Amino acid sequence: MTLYIIRRLVQVIPTMLGIFTVLFILAYLMPGDPVRSVLGEEYKRLSPEVVEGVREQLGLNDPFLVRYVKFLGQMARLDLGKSFILKQDVWDIIGYRLPRTLQLMAGGMFVALIIGLPAGIIAAEKQYTWIDHVLMVIALLGVSMPVFWLALLGQMLFTQDKYGIALFPVAGYEQGSLIHMVLPSLILGTNLSATIARVTRSSMLEVRGMDFITTARAKGLPYRVVLLRHQLRNALIPIITVVALDIGYLLGGSIVTETIFNWPGLGRAIVPAIQRQDTPVILGILVFGAFLFVVINLLTDLIYALVNPRIRYA
Amino acid sequence: MAATQTQSTPISLTPQRQPVSNRARFWIAFRRNRVALVGLAIVILLGLGAVFAPYIAPYDPIEPHYTARLAPPGGEFLLGTDELGRDLFSRLLYGARISLVIGFIAQGVALVIGMTLGMVAGWYGGWIDDLIMRTTDVFFAIPGLMFLIVWVTIFEPGPISIFLALGLIGWPGEARMMRSQVLGIKELDYVLAARALGAPAWRIMAQHILPNALAPMIVLATLGIAGVILSEATLSFLGLGIQIPTPSWGTMVQFGKNYLPTGQWWYAVIPGLTIMITVLGFNFLGDGLRDALDPTLYE
Repeated sequence: MTLYIIRRLVQVIPTMLGIFTVLFILAYLMPGDPVRSVLGEEYKRLSPEVVEGVREQLGLNDPFLVRYVKFLGQMARLDLGKSFILKQDVWDIIGYRLPRTLQLMAGGMFVALIIGLPAGIIAAEKQYTWIDHVLMVIALLGVSMPVFWLALLGQMLFTQDKYGIALFPVAGYEQGSLIHMVLPSLILGTNLSATIARVTRSSMLEVRGMDFITTARAKGLPYRVVLLRHQLRNALIPIITVVALDIGYLLGGSIVTETIFNWPGLGRAIVPAIQRQDTPVILGILVFGAFLFVVINLLTDLIYALVNPRIRYA
Repeated sequence: MAATQTQSTPISLTPQRQPVSNRARFWIAFRRNRVALVGLAIVILLGLGAVFAPYIAPYDPIEPHYTARLAPPGGEFLLGTDELGRDLFSRLLYGARISLVIGFIAQGVALVIGMTLGMVAGWYGGWIDDLIMRTTDVFFAIPGLMFLIVWVTIFEPGPISIFLALGLIGWPGEARMMRSQVLGIKELDYVLAARALGAPAWRIMAQHILPNALAPMIVLATLGIAGVILSEATLSFLGLGIQIPTPSWGTMVQFGKNYLPTGQWWYAVIPGLTIMITVLGFNFLGDGLRDALDPTLYE
């Protein structure tokens, strides 16, 4: 097991290196003059020599490779730099916004599981009946719904009395109060709940045909016990995979959801950062997002290995 | 699935069934799937609408009608008009061109990159495999929507840069699937036979492996088109996609949302509904293809 963990940890290094490279190239190609962003209003008043000095100081005159190596060094020291505009450490920005995004993602995940798992289990149990068909068509509808559109519909139907009922506030964060969380979480979780329902169904069906289920039934175990303790538990691996892979999706979906619901998370930060060409913030959030994805994948793999010895010794 | 149904078949006394070709078997299975047929119908209708947009559209999609701003659906304008009095139905038809073209081309780019890399990785193995699969991990890890947003600030958000970006970010799934297909197929006897005859690697890949790996790739591509259309719409909704005045569904929702509070719901709701139906069509179709192409489901 130790060997497996080490091997898997070592694999992370080239992946992260690749991510740094791709993202650095993107940031390098970003148009506009960062010096202008840094100096803001003063840019026009200062003499060209001073501007040139700032440029030199920021290392913007260095050749591509020098800047690339410097960037890698920064990453190795876990230094994400300072925002050009807010003059704030990028880590501070992430530190402030990440908990808010995580809160929303947790809300979305909760919604997705609470809808997706039961729907998938019921569809599998009622395979080929109308219940199964209806559930799966609804699930495909859920997958096909644009998040931004769903958010607008939600706002239209549940935040004002004109077309719907004023159940929830239109937008805002308010110290993360529960009532502000409900609608954005529902919106963020809908697509994922549909995906989870589909995977749960097929995974449950696959396990159902196995011998140990027949044995459990033959032993006279109650239906509920066989279904939840034997069948669901063994069907969980594909479900966990989907959940893990979709963390990245939730992060992307949070850009749209946060923008529409004015939620002060990471997604809400990256759009204005791009408009203002605040490269350190853009790079920082992208690197962090990718890193989060890699870590979650690593953890998923390690959990598999823990649960399933066949993977460990492969 | 349904393992219990295919146990012991009783000896039939009727004459043996004609052997069925793969194509016929696919069609029989596909035809039985009503959901898949609905998907196919949606896709065909959209395709026809997009191709014949100039003949079907009652109005010019860009021409304003200042006397009929924000007209409700029904009446003179079938699905209503926008803030400049442009006919929504005509704009949706022309928007279908953008969405479908981006969907097919971006997915095509992803498919070509993914299949090529997946095939090479699976066939050669060793360090080439490692290199390609680590690259796949990298592109998997980069948050797609964020990548797209940064991309369109570097390269103008025109159709070409958008389908390139969507293709660039979309190939890892295809590469992984292709690789796993190749790993299975390359051990089969007919591949060994081709090698024994001295066929060069490229010919084995193109003539023996590719055709046999195609089925799951078609499914993946169909579902991929749905995803790409959704991504493009999201990008346009954020104001970073196809630029006005070209009619794009996501942009229409973006502008329409400003008129939701004042009661002109159709402006945002109808284009959004169109996106959903389109994506649903491709998802239905992809799902149906998956079932029909899966030989284990055929009795």
